[in-house]
Amino acid sequence: MNKYLVPALLVLGGLLTTAGFIMAFFFTPPVLGPAITNEAGRILGYQPLFSQKIFYFHVPVAISSFLVFFFTAYYSVRFLMTKEKQFDTRARIATEVTLLFVIMTMATGILWTRFEWGRWWVWEPRLTTYFIMTLLVIAYFVLRNSIEDEERRATYAAVFGIIAFLDAPLSFAITRIIPSSVHPVVLRSGGGLTGSQLAAFLIGLFGMLMIAYAIFQTRMREELVHDRLEAVKAALEG
Amino acid sequence: MTQSVTSDVAVEVRELTRTFGARKALDKVSFDLPAGAFLSVFGPNGAGKTTLVKVLTTLTAPSKGTAKVSGFDVVADAVELRSRIGLISHNPLLYPDLSAEENLEFFADMYGVPDAEARVRELLVAVELDHRRLDLVRTFSRGMLQRLSIARALLHRPKVLFLDEPYSGLDPHAVEILDNLIAQIRADHTFVMISHDLSKGLALCSHALILAKGKVVLSALREELDEEQFAATYRETVGLGVA
Amino acid sequence: MRQFKAILRKDIVMELRTKEMITSMGIYALLTMVIYQVALSQSGTAFDPRNIAAGLLWLAFVFTSMLGLNRSLVHEKDQGCLEALLLSPVDRPVIFFAKASGNLIFLLIVQVLTIPVFAFLFLQEGSYAGEWWMIPLALFAGAVGISGVGTLLATMSVNTKGKDFVLAVLFVPLMYPLLLAAVSATSAAILGGDGSVQQFWTGMGMMAAFDAIMLLASFALHEFIVGA
Repeated sequence: MNKYLVPALLVLGGLLTTAGFIMAFFFTPPVLGPAITNEAGRILGYQPLFSQKIFYFHVPVAISSFLVFFFTAYYSVRFLMTKEKQFDTRARIATEVTLLFVIMTMATGILWTRFEWGRWWVWEPRLTTYFIMTLLVIAYFVLRNSIEDEERRATYAAVFGIIAFLDAPLSFAITRIIPSSVHPVVLRSGGGLTGSQLAAFLIGLFGMLMIAYAIFQTRMREELVHDRLEAVKAALEG
Repeated sequence: MTQSVTSDVAVEVRELTRTFGARKALDKVSFDLPAGAFLSVFGPNGAGKTTLVKVLTTLTAPSKGTAKVSGFDVVADAVELRSRIGLISHNPLLYPDLSAEENLEFFADMYGVPDAEARVRELLVAVELDHRRLDLVRTFSRGMLQRLSIARALLHRPKVLFLDEPYSGLDPHAVEILDNLIAQIRADHTFVMISHDLSKGLALCSHALILAKGKVVLSALREELDEEQFAATYRETVGLGVA
Repeated sequence: MRQFKAILRKDIVMELRTKEMITSMGIYALLTMVIYQVALSQSGTAFDPRNIAAGLLWLAFVFTSMLGLNRSLVHEKDQGCLEALLLSPVDRPVIFFAKASGNLIFLLIVQVLTIPVFAFLFLQEGSYAGEWWMIPLALFAGAVGISGVGTLLATMSVNTKGKDFVLAVLFVPLMYPLLLAAVSATSAAILGGDGSVQQFWTGMGMMAAFDAIMLLASFALHEFIVGA
């Protein structure tokens, strides 16, 4: 792989994300949303939403983290099928990237909640699901750290990676469907995204995916070097 | 060697390898063992002896290479193979909260032993534990555990027996019982034993194997071996292995 | 099939003999009740515990089941018994189902014992509004999911350094959707009122979906864990 590709992608990704963000602020029309009081969530009136701008960052990063998590599951499956260490390494790095993105999802989510609801946290379906995802990703690393034998560690992590990935959409579906007093489902007036909104959104999304890919490849390269070093060491000893 | 078992070659191992990343637990191990033979496997810690037994008893799969026991492939015919092999390990592999009899009955059930009740009784007598058959296993001494473990391993009349350091921690009486049992069934059974006890291992075996770092260092017939030279090679290997 | 029954019977016999799991799970549930009492002590006389009864019950079940799952698999690991099972010509799935069934039975027993105690301690006032069969159904659906996935996770966690800590860390986030649905269904059953039947069946449906998907996954993945 061209050695300039990764840094190029990183820069391009960064640029795109920033562009998306700027577009979101300056070029998209404001969206009106409900103004909510701190009590039972009665709609008082409508106000232009600053929080909607954060949406352009928060949702792409959320989607990206889920996509990367898919790769955790994918590499985990390939590992279980082939037992080749490289797939375990890929799965682990994919999970690392997922962790990074999921933390950003939570951070922007908190900001979004603050501006949208006036509170720092709301158990809204998407946020709840990502909170659970954060816990699942942390659990993945806790599991890895608690096993010394390499092959067992890889196998167990792969199994957990797969089942955790299955759990995420289940969480999302169930939090949406189960009626609950603490899980408000946010419905907006004026549904879809207009042209320029969509553009900003998609640009941001692609930018983030590129960043995710770039980080993944960088880490993979580090790991490959590390592995080669290990192999040389082993050969010297043997 | 007698050949009353189903296949001429009891254990056939070809380029058996088990690796993960850079680590090689077994490295292109190859050997043949005729039926009715007794193989003693020696080697320093971490040499791959236990891994070898694990692969041959279908507990773990190899990364590369093949292994067949009694003509059955350890991967493809694993389930079939399991009913023909027995393992005696330094772990008793028994349930502490069941009685001796219940333990044996349970495993007899697992293996589908046809004349379970009679067989269980027969073995309890053979290992001299009949008088304790209703007692919970958690009350047994180490020697008794090992004796019961032997009974468990023989329930289904396996033709190939694997022993992973079976003598460790045994009192002289238990050692005697184990020796007697092995002698009794020696004739038409194949044995593979891992041992750290050089003299014991050599005394019993017809074939010897030394493993170090997953590789075969020495593979020979007992009758070809000179004891002193073997001991020297062994010491050297262990020395290398530890370093 | 015969082997399945043998493994299940063995687990039950061992448990009946020592009563280790059930007593520890039972006492643990009781201790949880005491803590509930403390937690609710300042809630005031107007507060109706029936509103959170479902949540409290499932909370108790989650923690006691983690305790039980851990113990049930520690038995197997201790004397290398799982290895003995793996050596025998038993299909791996049979081992999984037998252990999961055993865990399910113990959890159901604890549930059955806990509910009257809970009702006695906290639900003296107010009546139980839903149909009588709703609560057992909800409990069963939840218990199935907990036992199935729990058996898979406990088989792993027992081989780690952290043991019960690792089990908890893996278990809770995975169980979250199931618990949400379980509490919803159970709550509808307890409180009754408008739309409660609908809520109950929605919850049951979600639990059924979770159980089906996760049990299938656990069953498929178990094979890889015991081979390791």
